[in-house]
Amino acid sequence: MSIKLVNINYVYSKKTAYEKKALTNVSLEIQNGEFIGLIGHTGSGKSTLIQHLNGLIKATSGHIYYDGEDIYANKYNMKELRSKVGLVFQYPEHQLFETTILEDVKFGPKNLGLSEEEVEQRAKDALRQVGLAEELWDKSPFDLSGGQKRRVAIAGVLAMHPEVLILDEPTAGLDPKGRDEILGEIAKLHKERKITIVLVSHSMEDVADYVERIIVMNHSKVFADGTPKEVFMKYKELEKIGLAAPQVTYVMNELKEKGIDVDTTATTVAEAKDSILAWARKNNWIEDKVEA
Amino acid sequence: MIRDITIGQYYPVDSIIHRLDPRVKLLGTLLYIISLFLFDSFAGYLLVIGFIGSVILASKVPLSYIFKGLKAVIFLLLFTVVFNVFFTQGDNVIGEWWIFRLTWEGLYQGAFMGIRIILLIIGSSIMTFTTTPKALTDGLETALHPLNRIKVPVHEIAMMMSIALRFIPILLEETDKIMKAQMARGADFENGSMIQKVKALLPIFIPLFVSAFRRANDLAMAMEARCYNGGTNRTKMKPLVYASRDYIGYALLGGYIALFVVLNLWFAWF
Ligand SMILES: Nc1ncnc2c1ncn2[C@@H]1O[C@H](COP(=O)(O)OP(=O)(O)O)[C@@H](O)[C@H]1O
Ligand SMILES: [Mg+2]
Repeated sequence: MSIKLVNINYVYSKKTAYEKKALTNVSLEIQNGEFIGLIGHTGSGKSTLIQHLNGLIKATSGHIYYDGEDIYANKYNMKELRSKVGLVFQYPEHQLFETTILEDVKFGPKNLGLSEEEVEQRAKDALRQVGLAEELWDKSPFDLSGGQKRRVAIAGVLAMHPEVLILDEPTAGLDPKGRDEILGEIAKLHKERKITIVLVSHSMEDVADYVERIIVMNHSKVFADGTPKEVFMKYKELEKIGLAAPQVTYVMNELKEKGIDVDTTATTVAEAKDSILAWARKNNWIEDKVEA
Repeated sequence: MIRDITIGQYYPVDSIIHRLDPRVKLLGTLLYIISLFLFDSFAGYLLVIGFIGSVILASKVPLSYIFKGLKAVIFLLLFTVVFNVFFTQGDNVIGEWWIFRLTWEGLYQGAFMGIRIILLIIGSSIMTFTTTPKALTDGLETALHPLNRIKVPVHEIAMMMSIALRFIPILLEETDKIMKAQMARGADFENGSMIQKVKALLPIFIPLFVSAFRRANDLAMAMEARCYNGGTNRTKMKPLVYASRDYIGYALLGGYIALFVVLNLWFAWF
């Protein structure tokens, strides 16, 4: 699996008073097995960008290649592309419609034309994967809590066995516990099923702990693209566009400025702790409990 | 996609027509429609086209945008034209197939009705293109105010209309989103038999209804919370006040009506 975008431009409502440039010369490549965080302010073009990846929106100009094939070529099979690139929209719980949860999750695989047993199997697997208790499966999706509905919706896309899973702000509107659970489950999917994941968010803090690569969008353009460490090194520029780096980045940089030699590229609290303790040990501020 | 439906939507540019008092525009639209139905010759349409043409020019709404709105009613239009072309009685026959009979009278009538519908839709959409839903309902409420005396709930009607108008773009946007979400799950709205196509609409309509009810509920709650209880004793922050351009607007409308009467009399005479 690989997706390649070359010079993608997109304009909404072209040639009207509502004209709005949503993507400007976006070029990037997504490789198999990556876990990517797509970050940017509201209105920076994230949702527009990801809808290009499964052909729901056609670029005003530019090319997209999936596994080297031009998806805008005449006979390209869009339906197949949509089964390979699973897209979970923002507030996906608003798309539920079936009488039971299980039936709703079956909608996607059914559309792929699979056998009834295969459809059922996939739906059940997907529901287990998102951690939805079995006794709920025969309930109406409208009776669930917000967080549970969202899991059903994610399962609905997972059941299609996509090669890439794209989630648009999957934590929007959830409480901290619900947020951590959903993010944890997504990370688990990546680890266990080796599925390529693009996680869209407007919060650095949310994704810093999980992803291996961060793409930052700003005003319809790709502003930065690299590992979390590389991206957070530009924390001052990020601040100018109104996106903060994780809190630890600030702590570490300030310590460094005060002459304490710590690793400023630490992105998680755990890494920061290790770095600070290592410095303290080196300078004999603390003694190791474990004697040699 | 579905967002291309432009009928009934506001087009945000600044023009003299946009700034006109909504009452002037309401009356103008009403007179325009009446004049459209009273003319029964192509020559009369020249006056109507001249009138609406100048309004469009002054409104700065691009023609292409206006015509896009016609796409939504293309079926109605085609149906009317075809029906008129083939089922108008006439003596000047051009050709005959089976039960159909093409006559000059039919062609004339078809073209006539086609133009009438197009002008009708363009005229009324110019009204919504240049007037925000709020201004429109304000205008309506003020214009119909006298009906209050015969116990017509004018304020409530205006409020319902303003909410309905406000919800149209929201529901269109929502439909667009839900359609995309279901397409991402492999739904297919284009291929298949008639029954399959109708069945394919369920995954759109159920979530759409659920969301419409949710929104309506939220709105009702928000109105309650702010102690809304109808129109009695409710004052306006920005009451409608006529400016000099509005009097000019009324004068121009008067001119149009005068021309219309003169032309009609002239046609009747000769
Ligand atoms: N359907 C649409 N029609 C017109 N403009 C849109 C539409 N969707 C988004 N936009 C505009 O495009 C820009 C990018 O939006 P979006 O991709 O949704 O950003 P994000 O997901 O980063 O918040 C915004 O300015 C938004 O207002
Ligand atoms: Mg978005």
